[in-house]
Amino acid sequence: MNAALKIESLHKSFKTGFIPKKKTILKGISLSVNAGEIFGYLGPNGAGKTTTIKCILGLIFPDEGFIEVLGYPFLSLKAKEKLGFLPENPYFYDYLSASEFLDFYARLFGIKRTERQTKTRNLLRLVGLEKAAHIPLRKFSRGMLQRIGFSQALINDPDIVLLDEPLSGLDPIGRKEIRDIIVRLKEEGKTVFLSSHILQDIEMICDRVAILVEGEIINQGKITELISEKILFTEIIVSGIKPDDLAVLGGNVSTQGDRTLLKIHDEDRVESIFKLIQSSGGKIHSLIPRTQTLEDIFVGMVKKT
Amino acid sequence: MKRYVLITFLLVSCITFMGLKLRLDNISREKVPGSSIIYIPSVKYLKYATLGYTSIAADLIYLWAIQYYSDTEIKDRYDHLEHILSIIFEMDPYYLDPYEIGAVIAVYEAEDVGAALRILDKGIENNPDQWLFPFEAGHYAQRNLNDYKTAQRYYKQAMNIDGAPAQARRLFANAAFEIFDYETALKTWFEIYQTATDERTRKIASNHLYRVRAAIDIRAIKEALAKYRDRYGHYPLKIDQLVPNGYLQAVPSDMDGKKYIYEPKTGEVKPPTIPWKR
Amino acid sequence: MKIRTVALNTFKEAIRDRVLYLLLFFSAVCIILARLLSILTVGDRIKIIKDVGLASISLFGALMAILMGTGLVFKEIDKKTIYTLLSKPIHRFQFLLGKFFGLVLTLLIMIALMSVIFLALLFFHTFHIEWRILLPICFVFMELCLITSVALLFSCFSTPILSSLFSLSFYIIGHLSWGLETLIKKIPSINMRAVFKALYTFLPDLENFNFKTEIVHNLPIPPDIYLYSVLYGIAYTGFVLVLAMLVFRRRDFI
Repeated sequence: MNAALKIESLHKSFKTGFIPKKKTILKGISLSVNAGEIFGYLGPNGAGKTTTIKCILGLIFPDEGFIEVLGYPFLSLKAKEKLGFLPENPYFYDYLSASEFLDFYARLFGIKRTERQTKTRNLLRLVGLEKAAHIPLRKFSRGMLQRIGFSQALINDPDIVLLDEPLSGLDPIGRKEIRDIIVRLKEEGKTVFLSSHILQDIEMICDRVAILVEGEIINQGKITELISEKILFTEIIVSGIKPDDLAVLGGNVSTQGDRTLLKIHDEDRVESIFKLIQSSGGKIHSLIPRTQTLEDIFVGMVKKT
Repeated sequence: MKRYVLITFLLVSCITFMGLKLRLDNISREKVPGSSIIYIPSVKYLKYATLGYTSIAADLIYLWAIQYYSDTEIKDRYDHLEHILSIIFEMDPYYLDPYEIGAVIAVYEAEDVGAALRILDKGIENNPDQWLFPFEAGHYAQRNLNDYKTAQRYYKQAMNIDGAPAQARRLFANAAFEIFDYETALKTWFEIYQTATDERTRKIASNHLYRVRAAIDIRAIKEALAKYRDRYGHYPLKIDQLVPNGYLQAVPSDMDGKKYIYEPKTGEVKPPTIPWKR
Repeated sequence: MKIRTVALNTFKEAIRDRVLYLLLFFSAVCIILARLLSILTVGDRIKIIKDVGLASISLFGALMAILMGTGLVFKEIDKKTIYTLLSKPIHRFQFLLGKFFGLVLTLLIMIALMSVIFLALLFFHTFHIEWRILLPICFVFMELCLITSVALLFSCFSTPILSSLFSLSFYIIGHLSWGLETLIKKIPSINMRAVFKALYTFLPDLENFNFKTEIVHNLPIPPDIYLYSVLYGIAYTGFVLVLAMLVFRRRDFI
């Protein structure tokens, strides 16, 4: 299977400050993204995620390393023909209206006039902005800008889409909408490479991830492989039992109103506690086994370095 | 685009425009007479326009003026000489060179001594402590206009300024002599003689005194001769003859004690010695 | 084709910029002011109108070129709109050329507007359209193209304020070239003179585009000057643009 994106041994450093001091951002990144998958690029702020994406796009020139996009050398125009990109905190030409904006980018791909008009219309409808077609971008809200950004990334019907923090700053509804769009992209056969530090979303939609900490990839692979199915602890919410009795059951207890939350680490004891509560006449409101999340792994790995 | 392609382009375009520039320089373009100064602004407003940089504005205008007046192709460049200079004077009245050089240009190139004197007058007015301006003005008046009266006035101004050369005083005295103001001349030469600090000056003063003295004496003698002639219709044989009739108080001798040479036929009286050969 | 796209986009941006209209307004004011000034003079009124009019077009054109040119690339970098743009299949030099031609097109329209106002004013006075006056205006436009390219160059690596200062310096140096020529004659050493002569030839001579005096005074203009001036303008503008491309090529957009 052809890799949609291949990076090998990418190094990048900058000289900053009045007396130039060399600061290494990327210390030898290697990763591979398969065609048709959603790949998550994780890392804390300042790890080098955006720098990596800029290297792929040719906005920054690497010190050394090898990058290939859809089989083409990364700087070639052919690579860019089938690539879509949405930057973090997108800011676009505010003097253009939404349709003028999309039309401009469409022209850069050499798309003919009639086709441009159709594409523009469709994309605006896809992201729910068809009513705002003639409003200048300077009047767009944050969420609207994010959506028009998405449409420009898709104007050329790309094979691979690079998204830099696509969910940052959005409200829960916005996040859901974007997540849905990304999943739909995968269904259309596109490859999605997205960077984020919001782990819950990554966990929900990504197939594979790479974790970047201080310029180095400390782990990469399928999410299912990274996260074990082991149950860490179980949370039970009960009512109708006196707290003293609950203390006997063991585990951590916290009470709010008439409800009590029990946190039981030992998996074996869950069943016995369950029976005990029932016999005492208590009511169980919920029982949730908590498995290891991406966040747990992430925090653990970051702490290690 | 490859790097070397761009660099080649760069060099080619650079050489092209440099070559074109040299070619363009050779094409001469006609200049409108006085084209460099299409409008000479009013001095008052120019001062405001320079936003307080009047001193450097004066420098720059002066520099420009020097180039302008050196350009022989501009035929009527002297038309506005005084106006341009007045702008410089207004900008920076204490900038001394323009007065002096302006006067030089006026005299030797524009051939207008009157303008030169007006320029130097401005210099005197704005810089009363500079002896050079009246000094030069005196020279121009004396040499170029033969106007000793004006020259005397200037020399008088000059000699009273601190630092003026001793020469100024001598020139003043000489000018006085030339306009027949013998009394002033005598007085001044006497002062010079008395205050002379070196032998040469004393000698010069002494010679001049001799000359003035001789001139005074000769004038008196000639007056007497004229009266005699009116009376008797002819000149006397000797000067002594003028005394008895009271035309002359006494027969004057020159400063060295010698007698004046008298030619009875023409009534000419001359000093016995040439003053500089004493 | 891609250059044209960016050019038209730049044109749209410039046309929607209010600063442009402010400058146009002031230039119109100045041209009409010429009418007033002419009342103060004794003698040839038309000459003053022509002089002030040409000077206004030249001055405000230069201001437009500098003020808009210095923001051309800087704004894209500062506002990060360049990220999305360069992620598309477009070469960096196509981007630069597009920006350049977009602004040149804008300037063309502005100059045309100012010329119309100017010609109208002259017609009002002389009841005669003097087409000859368009000649120095054409060369003013050539000069503006060169200034635009310089502003673009500085915009690639410097903030608008500094770029404006540099561009303005270029303009001033360009008009004082003859001063350097005069100075060179006074240098005693032959070697130093050669060095300065080389410098003098390299520095821009914007007076090559200045035909205002000749037209106003109806002086003859040697015909080969037209050709050489235009070629000079094209060569120098090309030089500056290529320089901008070189500077911009390997620039990291942090």
